Amino acid sequence: MKFKVVFLNLLAIVAFAIPAFAHFQMVYTPEIAVNKGDQTQLKLVFTHPFEAGHTMDMGVPEEFYMLHQKGEEGKTKKVDLKSYLKPITWKSLTNSGKAYEANLPKKIVRSMGDYTLVLVPAPYFESEEDVYIQQITKTYMNVGGMPGNWSVPAGLKTEWIPLVKPYAMWTGMTFKAQLLSSGKPVPNADVEVEYMNHAPEMKKNGFAKKANSEAPQDAFVTMGIKTDAQGYIEFAVPKAGWWGFCALGSGPDKEFKGKELSQDAVIWLKAVDMK
Amino acid sequence: MRKMTAKIIMVGLIVLSASAAFAHSPLCSCFDNGDGTVLCEGGFSDGSSASGVRIFVKSESEEVLSKGTMNESSEFEFKKPEGAYTVTFDGGEGHSIVIDGSDIVE
Ligand SMILES: [Cu+2]
Repeated sequence: MKFKVVFLNLLAIVAFAIPAFAHFQMVYTPEIAVNKGDQTQLKLVFTHPFEAGHTMDMGVPEEFYMLHQKGEEGKTKKVDLKSYLKPITWKSLTNSGKAYEANLPKKIVRSMGDYTLVLVPAPYFESEEDVYIQQITKTYMNVGGMPGNWSVPAGLKTEWIPLVKPYAMWTGMTFKAQLLSSGKPVPNADVEVEYMNHAPEMKKNGFAKKANSEAPQDAFVTMGIKTDAQGYIEFAVPKAGWWGFCALGSGPDKEFKGKELSQDAVIWLKAVDMK
Repeated sequence: MRKMTAKIIMVGLIVLSASAAFAHSPLCSCFDNGDGTVLCEGGFSDGSSASGVRIFVKSESEEVLSKGTMNESSEFEFKKPEGAYTVTFDGGEGHSIVIDGSDIVE
């Protein structure tokens, strides 16, 4: 009898442990602020970045493109990147999952200015919760230090609008962004924040075993913050590296294939130590 | 007399705003298009346009091989010279950049 109680307890712990590690759609490349534009490799991975844990299988992305703008008065150029996608297998510390890479030739990323990479992935079916998850994700790159359209909405169903350049963050700086759904601010939304704790290894298509940081408790693995009445968040970046912000279910689409859909907005920033 | 003061003040304002517009650094980047032409693009670190900024392409002996201004999209294209050359992005005093032709690659 006592045995049974212990067993149930264990089950409860396991069941609670799962949602503690948040899903994050990554659009990753090691350097996002470069002096000269050059051939760029991107990795698209749907995973749990802090733990470098379970990597989910991605379907064929619905949309993948970049918005390039040179100078604040420049014209925004949309470049479809779907033709550069190649399926890969990404190794987490616990499994392997279907992911994508894209090798962007120099000719499309050589120009100065901002590049907003936009990924609208295929909804992912999470069987344990019986829901679909679709994380619309933005990652920024800049060439030559010339600003462009980094603060301009991309017109996505749901998205983060940064108020600080996400590619020019020193460690310790405060990041500020506004959450939009169909172009309107989303107040009081739940936002998960995770640190990319294991460096992605471009050649190995997997995470490094070594962790950069250790969480004293689960709440530090996935931090929780909320948007204010105008949909803004602020976050002082405590450590160099990549930080992901995910607004849960902020998008207008609530259903996919007859099941509940969580349409999330993800944005990534990279912080660099001052030397 | 009144009018004159107004005029002076206006001139003062223009100068002030002009120098404020220069409180940023110039940026210029050139690429060899691989077809005998070179494309340079310019701008300023605050995102302002380089449209109208003068460009000089000079030989080793400082002879001007071609010159012009950056177009509406802050670009200037020229025929790649035979020998060694430099490109000067002339954004005004303290805002010029000289790029060595040997650094301009495809
Ligand atoms: Cu998960």
